[in-house]
Amino acid sequence: MAARKPIILCVDDEDTPLLLRKLVLQKAGYDVVTAGSALEALKIAESQKVDLVLSDHLMPGVTGAELAQQMKAQYPHLPIILLSGVNEIPSGAEFADTFLSKVEGPDRLCQAVAAALEGTS
Amino acid sequence: MSTHEPVNILMVDDQPGKLLSYEAILGPLGENLLKANSGREALELLLKKEIAVVLMDVSMPDIDGFQLADMIREHPRFQKTAIIFISAVHLTDVDRLKGYERGAVDYISVPVIPELLRAKVSVFAELHRKNQQLERLNRELERRVAERTEELRESEAQFRSLANSIPQLAWMANPDGSIFWYNQRWCDYTGTGVEETNGWGWRALQHPDHLQRVIEGIRRASSAGEPWEDTFPLRGQDGSYRWFLSRALPIRDASGLVVRWFGTNTDITDRKQAEEALVKSERLAAMGRLAGIIAHEINNPLEAISNAFYLLREHPSLDEEAKYYSELAKKELERVAHITKQTLSFYRESERPVPVSLCELLDDVVELQSRRLQLNNVVLDKRYRSSGVIHGFPVELKQVFLNLIGNAVQAMPDGGRLRIHLFESKERHSGREGVRVSVYDTGTGIRGEHAKKIFEPFFSTKATKGTGLGLWISRGIVQKYEGTIRFRSLRVNGGNTTCFSVFIPAKVIRNLADPVASSGTLGQMVPSQYGSA
Repeated sequence: MAARKPIILCVDDEDTPLLLRKLVLQKAGYDVVTAGSALEALKIAESQKVDLVLSDHLMPGVTGAELAQQMKAQYPHLPIILLSGVNEIPSGAEFADTFLSKVEGPDRLCQAVAAALEGTS
Repeated sequence: MSTHEPVNILMVDDQPGKLLSYEAILGPLGENLLKANSGREALELLLKKEIAVVLMDVSMPDIDGFQLADMIREHPRFQKTAIIFISAVHLTDVDRLKGYERGAVDYISVPVIPELLRAKVSVFAELHRKNQQLERLNRELERRVAERTEELRESEAQFRSLANSIPQLAWMANPDGSIFWYNQRWCDYTGTGVEETNGWGWRALQHPDHLQRVIEGIRRASSAGEPWEDTFPLRGQDGSYRWFLSRALPIRDASGLVVRWFGTNTDITDRKQAEEALVKSERLAAMGRLAGIIAHEINNPLEAISNAFYLLREHPSLDEEAKYYSELAKKELERVAHITKQTLSFYRESERPVPVSLCELLDDVVELQSRRLQLNNVVLDKRYRSSGVIHGFPVELKQVFLNLIGNAVQAMPDGGRLRIHLFESKERHSGREGVRVSVYDTGTGIRGEHAKKIFEPFFSTKATKGTGLGLWISRGIVQKYEGTIRFRSLRVNGGNTTCFSVFIPAKVIRNLADPVASSGTLGQMVPSQYGSA
């Protein structure tokens, strides 16, 4: 019997990058739910099953690193990948399992997602 | 009478009556009149007091006037004491001559004319007073001269010790600018003495690029009599030049005429270098910030575009031509990603360092370059003397060696040898243990004028092919490991050999499976063409 598709919670304050990331992940065989902010992401995680969080770091209000910290406090085993376009590792990035540069491209992104899910299974 | 200081007048006669009459005659002069009844008494008084004039009778019992005069004259103190003889007898010219020979200044015969005696004594008393004043003045003058001489000697000594203790080179010049004195520091720095650099001889120590300007400046200042200031290099005794800020002030006499110049040269080389270094480091920091900002602004849309093309490429509606175009676009996008990744490579892929095998990492990099190696006809020579397993961040370390090996291969478009050394090493000056990777090529070499710039951002010799960031980023990464990166470019046997050497202070991890032994990469893949020394 076919296994359930892993559900990825994608977080970004910018719509277009969020949509494209969602499409790439869907193409890679994942179910994707999106959130436009960290707070929205926390609400979604409360209301439904999520297997992995993929969040942009630099967002207005609560940053990706802060989101990772809060998520880990509530769901210690939930893998979290932090994405960023900045060239320095932000403080708080250690709460995420993986820190990934946006320029790595879709292939590396899918690999990182697969590896993070692998670690939990 | 004048308010003059009275002088002593000694009157000598054996007859008290005569003494009384002289006293009466000379009383109005207002001088001190001393009386002696005999030659002996006169001598006693002479020894006790300062006598201006001796008035004496020639014929006296015991010691007569001539004998007394002889005695008086023998004493150095009385060489110039005026002696006036009075005599009623012996009035021949021979007698007078005898009196004068004994130093008499005058001869008065009896009967004494009071006015005449008074006038004569008065003249000699006045003369004595004048002499005394003159002597006093002389003594005062001598004392002041001595004092002043001592002051000058002291101030000269003070000036010299001051001039020699200041950190500056100091000198004095004539009004026309020719130098006649230098302090010790000048001699120590230049290794020359006053003899060689006297006058205008200092020109030999000037840097030829500045000489003309400096001389013109000095001429201008000396003709205008205005303070002079200039900055120029001066040659030291070791032959190297250092920069000096030089100043001179005119020293004028009471009439305002310039009599000399006093000048100093202050070594500002270190200050100048520090300023330049500061400007440079500020520029580098600004460039780093700029590169970071630009990279960040590009990365966000770049990710979106990459994802969009990823989706587009796979879309079933695309025909072959469209697929070809999207493939081209993908390749170009990868180039953009590569550049921003280079500027962005300051990020670390994980928070904690992990064991990294430099041996494997170098093989990966060589693998990435394998096509280029083939195309350029480059012979590879690997000499791994260690597994080089250290704690680090693989992506950024790979970046360093990708840059170095990539540069080496690019420097050999017409073939050559690429030699990669990996060995455990101790840094000579610090004694730190670590790993050294050296990358040698026999390519185009590094020109001397580029040597200072190659680690600067946006410096490239590859025209449009390079970003000019590779070595700058590599150095930044190596420095994060507190390591060093350096290079040497030598011409050997008509060809160039360039070596970039990276030292990373780290403890090599031993308990992992040694890839040197297992992968068989130890030793040479192709015979070495290099000397074995």
